[in-house]
Amino acid sequence: MPKPWNRRGGDRTARETQILGWLFVIPSLIAVAALVLYPMAHGWWQSMNSGGFLFGEKPGYVGLRNYRDVINDPVSREAMAHTLWYVLLAVSLELVLGILVAVTLHRVFRGRGFVLAVLILPWALPSVVSGVLWKRVFDPDNGLLNSLLMQLHVINQPHVWLAAGRGPIVYITLVHVWGVLPLVSLIFLAGLQSIPDEVYSASAVDGAGPWRQFRHITLPLLRPSMAIALTVGTLLAISIFDEIYVLNGTALNTRSILIQVYNTTFAQADFAHGTALAFLLAAITAVLGALYAIALRRSTV
Amino acid sequence: MTSPGWRIAKLVAVLAIIVWSLGPILIGVSTSLSTQREVNAIPTRWVPHHPTLQAYHDLLGGTSNQRAGGTVTEAGTFTRSIYNSAILSAVSTSFILIFATMAAYAVGRLRFRLGGAVLALLVGTMIVPIFVVVVSLFKVLAEPPVGPSLIDTKGGLVLVFIATLTPLATWLLYTQVREMPTEPEEAALIDGCSRWKAFVRIVVPQMSSGIAAVAAIMMLSVWGEFLIPLLLTQTMNAKPVTVQITEYVGKYTTNYPILAAAGVLALIPPALLALALNKRITGMLAGSS
Amino acid sequence: MTATGTITLESVTKHFPGGVVAVDDLSLEVQPGEFMVLVGPSGCGKTTALRMVAGLEPVTEGQIRINDRVVTRLPPRDRDIAMVFQNYALYAHMTVRNNMAFGLKMARMPKDEIRRRVDEAAVMLGLTELLNRKPRQLSGGQRQRVAMGRAIVREPSAFLMDEPLSNLDAKLRVEMRGEIIRVQRRIAAPTLYVTHDQTEAMTMGDRVAILRDGLLQQLGTPDQVYDRPVNAFVAGFIGSPSMNLLPAGLEADGDGCAISVGGARLAAPRLLEQRPALRGYLGKPVTLGIRPEDFGTDGDGGEIDVTVARLESLGSELVAYLAPAGMAADTLLTARLERRAALTEGSATRVNVDVERLYFFDPESGAALT
Repeated sequence: MPKPWNRRGGDRTARETQILGWLFVIPSLIAVAALVLYPMAHGWWQSMNSGGFLFGEKPGYVGLRNYRDVINDPVSREAMAHTLWYVLLAVSLELVLGILVAVTLHRVFRGRGFVLAVLILPWALPSVVSGVLWKRVFDPDNGLLNSLLMQLHVINQPHVWLAAGRGPIVYITLVHVWGVLPLVSLIFLAGLQSIPDEVYSASAVDGAGPWRQFRHITLPLLRPSMAIALTVGTLLAISIFDEIYVLNGTALNTRSILIQVYNTTFAQADFAHGTALAFLLAAITAVLGALYAIALRRSTV
Repeated sequence: MTSPGWRIAKLVAVLAIIVWSLGPILIGVSTSLSTQREVNAIPTRWVPHHPTLQAYHDLLGGTSNQRAGGTVTEAGTFTRSIYNSAILSAVSTSFILIFATMAAYAVGRLRFRLGGAVLALLVGTMIVPIFVVVVSLFKVLAEPPVGPSLIDTKGGLVLVFIATLTPLATWLLYTQVREMPTEPEEAALIDGCSRWKAFVRIVVPQMSSGIAAVAAIMMLSVWGEFLIPLLLTQTMNAKPVTVQITEYVGKYTTNYPILAAAGVLALIPPALLALALNKRITGMLAGSS
Repeated sequence: MTATGTITLESVTKHFPGGVVAVDDLSLEVQPGEFMVLVGPSGCGKTTALRMVAGLEPVTEGQIRINDRVVTRLPPRDRDIAMVFQNYALYAHMTVRNNMAFGLKMARMPKDEIRRRVDEAAVMLGLTELLNRKPRQLSGGQRQRVAMGRAIVREPSAFLMDEPLSNLDAKLRVEMRGEIIRVQRRIAAPTLYVTHDQTEAMTMGDRVAILRDGLLQQLGTPDQVYDRPVNAFVAGFIGSPSMNLLPAGLEADGDGCAISVGGARLAAPRLLEQRPALRGYLGKPVTLGIRPEDFGTDGDGGEIDVTVARLESLGSELVAYLAPAGMAADTLLTARLERRAALTEGSATRVNVDVERLYFFDPESGAALT
């Protein structure tokens, strides 16, 4: 009887698989490494260096000084505060409206296909175009909102919506939510459809009416979807840019962090501080992302 | 939930969804068919009393300063930007699909060593917001290790889109590969295929509906990209419609009909795509949650 | 077709990362034209073993030969095998004809030869009218036949089948059992068939290999594993309803011995002569095995007092669940009795067994005592 083999990975098929696996992954890895990871590393380095003579400084390594500058800079701080508002408002609206939309579209009804098709349109459009479409609404002279309210005699002269006060952030958030809601609604719709019907039937037999069912069955079982919607909504809101740019440009009262980064880096050509701010936000985002991932894992155990 | 009270509530909700989703688009269309005067009229004219295609003429054919009330357009510029967007979408999506399908298969099926690490890396880059990279990206593209500057070129933009969107596409396809039955591929291996042949002839067709959905999502994403082209293009060489359209937003006054016309033209391709592949797209977005 | 070819497994072992030993030192040889069934409960390693023969799973130790050609390290396509999967594994985007022709196209066979083989196989399986349909337009039974057709046209050296009938409903299953056997006899290639259903194993196999936790328990013809199970597991696995296994004791009784089970005492004067191994168990506990069909109500043989717990009438016979006197509270014996046995639920009665048809097993190792 021939001696039995004792090999672990020497199999020809296994080797073929390894080689093919690496070949398949390499193009993506190269693309990401070259145009995401390397620039990230480069940016990190840049954020730790001074801006040089252009800013009246000696060029060279300055460690975390740029970060400190940015944290202490009042304009940047305001941008961070604004961004926090954007995130809180956007996510709250998205969660509430998203569930409502999902519940409405959950059961099949005549014309549901049409409504679903219409629903994703705001998401499919570029967010710049969303800004463009809504711009007429908020125009300070004769925008739609103004003329409508004047017609109804609620106000008697045009209001400058995006100029000052708490309002602008809310309005811009509204435009942002208009574009993100379809995605969040779909997330909740998927979550709803994964709840088996028998659970509702059983609870109905046990005497639960629709409101009770919603509170005690639907909402708890939607927790994983909520986690996902929370994550996606936060990531999208934290990097809000396009809508602000179209509706209010780089005006100080509505600046988000990204607008601030854009302004610092390109309008003021201050790459050093710009990248520092960008990395600061990236760190916060990464931490948030990790927190959400942990929370998600906990809720699905 | 079938009592009349609920039925009415549901009807109201459905109508609200339709109005909310279509409203701004219809306003845009109506504005694009108005003149500047009609836009400023009080009381509000939701629909223009004298609809006209003047705005489109001006947008596409070029205007002089006075006639268009402050917005200057050059003949062919806007058309060129749409053309750029189309090329960018098509070319980027093609490459992304190829890379992502292979990567998703490798990580999801082939069970090769470090597959988990690769996936984690790709997913990780998705979470990092793009602005971290955008600034340095400029430098990298301006002075690449080989070849000329890639700033303001379609090639450079395509490379950036590939790098930033492949992780998402890979993730979406990975969730699908994981749920596909493995037996047809194994049957192909027994029927005489090498791994590569089995992939091309059997696995890829098996994935076709997922690939179509991801293709649509990628095209929509590239078409809608703004910040990256804003920073990386300067001339009409590569400027896409998203950047071009912001040039019609005046600093003080805006010519709304022209702006709206630009908006409408810019939204037609993604809208058509979304309507055509609606079922696939919603299926994939919902399914990968 | 003349029967040629063998499938040989020699000391085949499979370790999974994490320490699980799925298949442990398995050796067997399928003879030319033989239909061998690998059977066992879920997780026993039968599917893993089959996949190693197919080349879909790398072998940790051991050797696999097909037609005496060593294939252990070869990819599936070089092994000249064909396989039928549990889920049919048809190519959804191809027609039935192309599904069947695919392997032949990969082998660069000339087109007319492909056409001939596909048409022949279609006739054999009743698929001729379905050749231009796609899998999603077919029923489960039709899909299974296409899967078989795809395997047959290759005229392989070895046939592998992984629970092909598990996804069919009961009636279809019985029908397809016959089909598979019929086709296999025509093709006459050695076949390795995996199932968890012992009825399939017993009705289809020329020989049966019973696996448990990766180890081969017994290899033999259906009659052999039924009449002479080599341990308590095989005895309990083969046969439906399964054999009753109870703790019992052996006592010396004059020249012979007696079996005490529960409150009953069965005299077995000739037992020690017939089963010498039992001599070592006098005065010690054993595991007693009684096949349900070996019970009777005519008083002929050793008698056991029982209470009738439940009766199920199957029309032609009676299945009785009997609680023996003197045993732990929920012990139930399953007995197959004739219809006219006239029992009523809840009543106390007596059943008898032929002492010479009893099985004995070591209570710890489970080994049969003969």
